Amino acid sequence: MIRSLLAWLDNRTGCNDLIHEALYEKVPGGARWRYVWGSTLVFTFVLQMITGIFLWTAYSPSAQTAWESVYYIQEVMFLGKMVRGMHHFAAQAMVVLLAIHLIQVIIDGAYKAPREINFWLGLVLLKIILGLSLTGYLLPWDQKGYYATQVSTKIMGATPVIGAQLQEVVQGGAQYNHHTLTRFFAMHAGILPGLLIGFLALHLYVFRRHGLTVHQPKKNPDTTFWPDQVLKDGVACLGVLAVVMLFAFFKGAELSPPADAAKAYAAARPEWYFLFLFRFLKFEAVEHLGLAFGAIYVPGALMGILFMMPLTAKMKAGHRFNVAFTWLVTFGIVVLTTMAFYEDANNEDHQAAIAEAERDAHRIKELASRPTMIPVEGAVSLLRQDPFTQGPVLFAKYCASCHRYNGHNGRSIVLRETDKETKIVSITTPEATDLANFGSRDWMKAIITDYGNHFAPLKKAKWYPGTDDAEFNLDDSEMADASEGYAEAFTSPENANDLNALVEALIALRGWNGDEESIDTKLVERGQQILDGEPLADGTEISSCADCHDTIGSDFEVTGEGYGYPDLAEYGSAKWLKAFISDPGSDQFYGAKNHMPAYAEKMNAKDLDLLVRWMTGDYYETHVKDYPSRITEVFGAAPQPEAASADE
Amino acid sequence: MSENENSTPDADETPPAEVASETVCRTSAAGESACSEKPRRNFVVEATAAAVGAVVGIVPAVIGGLFFLDPLVRKGEQKDDAGAGGDAPDRVVKDADGFIRLTLGIEALPADGTPVRYTVHDDIVNAWNMFPNQPIGAVWLRRIQDQVLAFSTVCPHLGCDVEHRSGEGDFFCPCHTSAFDMDGKPLNAIPPRAMDTLETKLADDRIWVKYEQYRGATSEKELV
Repeated sequence: MIRSLLAWLDNRTGCNDLIHEALYEKVPGGARWRYVWGSTLVFTFVLQMITGIFLWTAYSPSAQTAWESVYYIQEVMFLGKMVRGMHHFAAQAMVVLLAIHLIQVIIDGAYKAPREINFWLGLVLLKIILGLSLTGYLLPWDQKGYYATQVSTKIMGATPVIGAQLQEVVQGGAQYNHHTLTRFFAMHAGILPGLLIGFLALHLYVFRRHGLTVHQPKKNPDTTFWPDQVLKDGVACLGVLAVVMLFAFFKGAELSPPADAAKAYAAARPEWYFLFLFRFLKFEAVEHLGLAFGAIYVPGALMGILFMMPLTAKMKAGHRFNVAFTWLVTFGIVVLTTMAFYEDANNEDHQAAIAEAERDAHRIKELASRPTMIPVEGAVSLLRQDPFTQGPVLFAKYCASCHRYNGHNGRSIVLRETDKETKIVSITTPEATDLANFGSRDWMKAIITDYGNHFAPLKKAKWYPGTDDAEFNLDDSEMADASEGYAEAFTSPENANDLNALVEALIALRGWNGDEESIDTKLVERGQQILDGEPLADGTEISSCADCHDTIGSDFEVTGEGYGYPDLAEYGSAKWLKAFISDPGSDQFYGAKNHMPAYAEKMNAKDLDLLVRWMTGDYYETHVKDYPSRITEVFGAAPQPEAASADE
Repeated sequence: MSENENSTPDADETPPAEVASETVCRTSAAGESACSEKPRRNFVVEATAAAVGAVVGIVPAVIGGLFFLDPLVRKGEQKDDAGAGGDAPDRVVKDADGFIRLTLGIEALPADGTPVRYTVHDDIVNAWNMFPNQPIGAVWLRRIQDQVLAFSTVCPHLGCDVEHRSGEGDFFCPCHTSAFDMDGKPLNAIPPRAMDTLETKLADDRIWVKYEQYRGATSEKELV
């Protein structure tokens, strides 16, 4: 029955001949592992077709939906992480396999007559595959792909004569926009795969015409493609699939933060297999000769030599030249790639940019998975409005010239300076307090009992007495004196609880998010009594905070009036902090003693709000790890709390 | 392409060999391969090759296929965010049973039972986007003493919009002239069933409605 059906089918279509043609290709000298590379490439391409088409069913190419749909595929959809991961890593496997295939073809002389045409077809396939990688890199519309692809399109723009027009056509406009994505997507999922299928068919046809290039000496009797070589090819493909799936499962495809044209991405790098070109372009001499030289002429010349190989081989020692050239270029690529990796690993700025990108990437996933999900304006708007994301950036921009945050500039970079004469690089001395723990219990405690030390970085400020024309001397300050007294008073064990109570009372004033749950109301009550001037547990009477800071305990209001004793009404609250940053030199705050610039004019209200909300912890709860503390590097080991009082 | 040329890897200048010195395989009409020195067919090798080939093909296809079935796999797994205001103040308040809080209290409805048309809003989830407070449909609200009666405005016949005719004192659908009395009972044979009532409750001085859609043209009320 089945037999007669197959016979009928064969009679009408001739499919048996076709199958035999496909399966009984002669393999002289027996099946060998070294013949598997072409097949693994075909398999990887099929894998890309399968995963790519399924990704297509969920991908949405536009500036407001590309990242969002990829996020949805990766984080929400069933097996999405696997499908995208396989597509991502199979693309990289394809480049590796392509390199192996090409090198093997050259050293085995398989490019020589009569296989010149097929060699050229292979080079066309190589170009198409690189084109697929390049166009695919942009599609997630994340920071990494966005800024790396900008480089590629700029290189395109450096093409002689038609560069500018070419770039604009490819981008679908003068700038990146919706059409950049629709164009790249059409290239990536339509035009290039179509070309690839066409050229692959030609490649295989011509390959069959000339047969395998047998590696000498033949080890075994001749055989046919089926089943011996198929088994080896199949096992090799299985190996490729396993590696790709392991990477997809354990590593997963990266999705960096959504593309933001307004936020430069310092960690932008091309995919690792283009890193050699990236590194090559960074050589000063290359840079000096212009983008077109390094990015177009040199690679063009190398491709030209590659292209000419079948003709070169006809000359005396031509084949040897080709092989030597291949190894030389491979060596160069390996060296340049290693250099790029090595330099990046040792470049603190680059590492900081990566750390920031990872922080943002994790954060955006948190924000997007809230019940409110992603707004129509796109995920990038979530990051732009998020204090946890914007706070550090604003801190680095406005505050880090004097202050530090856990020792760094807010964005994990430790600021350094180079001595003009000796060229020695050293860590820049902070000239104001570290604000990472601003408003915290530690901060309150330090202000009460260790004021002098807490503000000691001020003594390094360029305006400090002895260095410039300043009036304020921390050592003469009333609060430093008072603090020494407090330190002494609170050292007695009986009073330890009172110190905690006082701190707790101050914490109650700041009124941050979540304070209500964490505050110990009993302590606050006791702290309030001390604030009001009651003696400590051991009977010591201390000068009350309210003696100088007479608004403590009341509602904060911006008045601009005072005596240069900072207004401590709602001290540390967002309201207080905003007013302080806006005008710290107001009589309501430090008055004449102040040296901090007023930011009312320097910062817009939105930025100030984001900064203050970040400093006061007023943002959607996060589990993203913050940058590691660099405080000991910058400030040295923290002083022992007892040390100050022991000096007395 | 009917026969393969013999490969001659070392001969740069050799033109494609026309004479196949070692041609071994020929295809017979019956479709069976006849090789002169045909290696013994090794069933184990063939089976293994076929199995490996099948695995590398099937695994990606199955993974992709399951990914495509995502809507079925994740059905009912939607996060229960009912009542979670989040930080979008304009979100609709909805309780765990699916009742939507309206902006009206019962006192806003006429005491004589005259129906009031009310557009119901809900937060609409569209894949990764959430559109807060979008109109999703309308209800007719009637006050019956201290209870609220709610009818879907969707005609149970073929889904047109049911109007209230105050002159006639009935509900009327202009598409196919379905008519209902003020309690929603059919007044002619056109509608297959009474107007669809929706569950309501009163809490926090507001009316809450469980807005649902039902299949049209069936005599029984079936959820869509």
